[in-house]
Amino acid sequence: MSRLRKEQLVGLLMVSPALILLAVFFLYPLVNSFYMSFHKWPLFGKPKWVGLDNYIFMFQDERFWESLKFTFVYTLTVTPMLFVVAIGTALLCNAKAWGTTFFRSIYFLPVVMSFATASYVWLWLYSEMYGVIVYALEFFGFGGENKNLNVWKTGTSSMWAVNAMVTWKFSGIQMIILIAGLQAIRDDYYEASKLMGASRWQTIWNVTLPLLRPSIALALILSIAGSIQAYEQFVIMTRGGPSNSTKTLVMHTVDMGFDYFKLGPAASLGVIIMIILFVLTVIQLRLFRKNY
Amino acid sequence: MRRYSSDWYWYYAINYTLVIIIIFPIYWTLISSFKKPSELITSEPTFYPHDLTLQYYDQIWNFDRLKRLQDAESDDSESSGVEIESKFRLDGEGVRRPFMNSAIVSAGTIILTIIVCTLGGYSLTVLNTPLKNFFFLLVILPILIPGISLIIPLYKLLKDLGLTNTHLGLILIHTCGMLPLGIFMMRNAFNSIPSSLREVAMLEGSSELKIITSVMLPLAIPGLLTVMVFAMYVSWNDYIYAFIFINSPENTMLNISLMKIALGGSQFEMKWGSLTAGSIVSFLPIIIFYTFLQQYFVRGVTGSAVKE
Repeated sequence: MSRLRKEQLVGLLMVSPALILLAVFFLYPLVNSFYMSFHKWPLFGKPKWVGLDNYIFMFQDERFWESLKFTFVYTLTVTPMLFVVAIGTALLCNAKAWGTTFFRSIYFLPVVMSFATASYVWLWLYSEMYGVIVYALEFFGFGGENKNLNVWKTGTSSMWAVNAMVTWKFSGIQMIILIAGLQAIRDDYYEASKLMGASRWQTIWNVTLPLLRPSIALALILSIAGSIQAYEQFVIMTRGGPSNSTKTLVMHTVDMGFDYFKLGPAASLGVIIMIILFVLTVIQLRLFRKNY
Repeated sequence: MRRYSSDWYWYYAINYTLVIIIIFPIYWTLISSFKKPSELITSEPTFYPHDLTLQYYDQIWNFDRLKRLQDAESDDSESSGVEIESKFRLDGEGVRRPFMNSAIVSAGTIILTIIVCTLGGYSLTVLNTPLKNFFFLLVILPILIPGISLIIPLYKLLKDLGLTNTHLGLILIHTCGMLPLGIFMMRNAFNSIPSSLREVAMLEGSSELKIITSVMLPLAIPGLLTVMVFAMYVSWNDYIYAFIFINSPENTMLNISLMKIALGGSQFEMKWGSLTAGSIVSFLPIIIFYTFLQQYFVRGVTGSAVKE
């Protein structure tokens, strides 16, 4: 056996664990999710071809539209919050000053905590009776007469409460992406802008932000794709309540599959989520390709 | 010059305020977990614990379900065993066992990811593997389709394979999820190593495996650490897979067991002391990793977003 031949064989052997894993735990489920979405899955017996029935069932289900709407509202509110904090901390950490490394590692710290743990931590902060946030709000006179400030009372206040947690937890990732973008901007631009007598805000607005556009786009797409997959924070903090007003698309899928055992419609929900995320990621990769 | 220094004053004022805001939830959870119940469950919170106690850590770590049941029975001899059983059903199993489960799954994911991604990355970079560009694209493909949208077929697959309720099932799924980033990182790492090193080792008659372990890997340690840290991050912090694919109490993962602690047998009263202690227990391993391997952490976690 020639040396090249042997090397090719060794190569195939070495890559095969990765390919087998990929085939079994990614490609097969991928194909199967389409197959499942076109079949009815009784608890016993064989699956039956039902065409688009699962999709029709899903689209006629009010809960689907509610969860889709909520997921979009959540995405549209949390994305600007994340972005404002991320761009602010990124600009702060990009200054040539003592201590930026320390500040950056602190701002990134909540990212390493799991979404579940962060949710438990904030659940405690928000606790109606003993929580420090409610205490602080009442201390500054926001409690009002009725004295029971419960952030989980309405769907809207629940969502903002979760948004605050997510902003705390997640802006660090976007900050790092934006810092990488900021560091790629050459000093000449700032010097030129200084020579022209621009103020600091003018420089940020007219020089930094336009040059940072690719990183900003990437950060936004990431936040949108992440929010569409939202699950833990709502399962733990609101449990979808009050009265299902904070149920996300993924929560609806899980409920459909594992509470109601309707695997067909649940699989078709998975396909819908897949398509949304696929489109977003393609945009993300194109942005990235084009600009780097 | 004067104006300049006042600017710096603001710069640090803003930064330190932000640092306090970011740290506060963690600080608050930490001190809450050490407070005595009378200090914890009060509407007048104290900003540092006056009286330290380890009782919550003791409760959740040395949780003995059988003893709890017997105590409850002797306390309350009128109600039947079944009633007490159902009262404590949501109590979970404490966190020691779930902690071990999560540790096993994380360690397994890290080891398997490193093996599979090193071999795969090596084969697709250094060796003349046939179809290597096609294979590389195939391995990168899962970036386009996050695993969360495959949750239903994955459940069915695990069920058919008999892997629900097993550590192995979770390890395999996490490792598969790690493939795009892992192989990508290892490919970059191997690419930066000059090929002459391998040729010299081959002239000396080393086998391919020997070359990887003794020549290539020592030079690829930054890439390896990034992959390792990210595998740890993904598997330790996972919630949805652990929630859906594991049903038996013995195999509950840590993040799920915290939910059971929180509910503590009732929908309406949270066991805040145990919950804060449990949150700290679940955060501890990852914060230790973060302290020592910070740069790899940042690269791994953001790298997952910024591939290619």
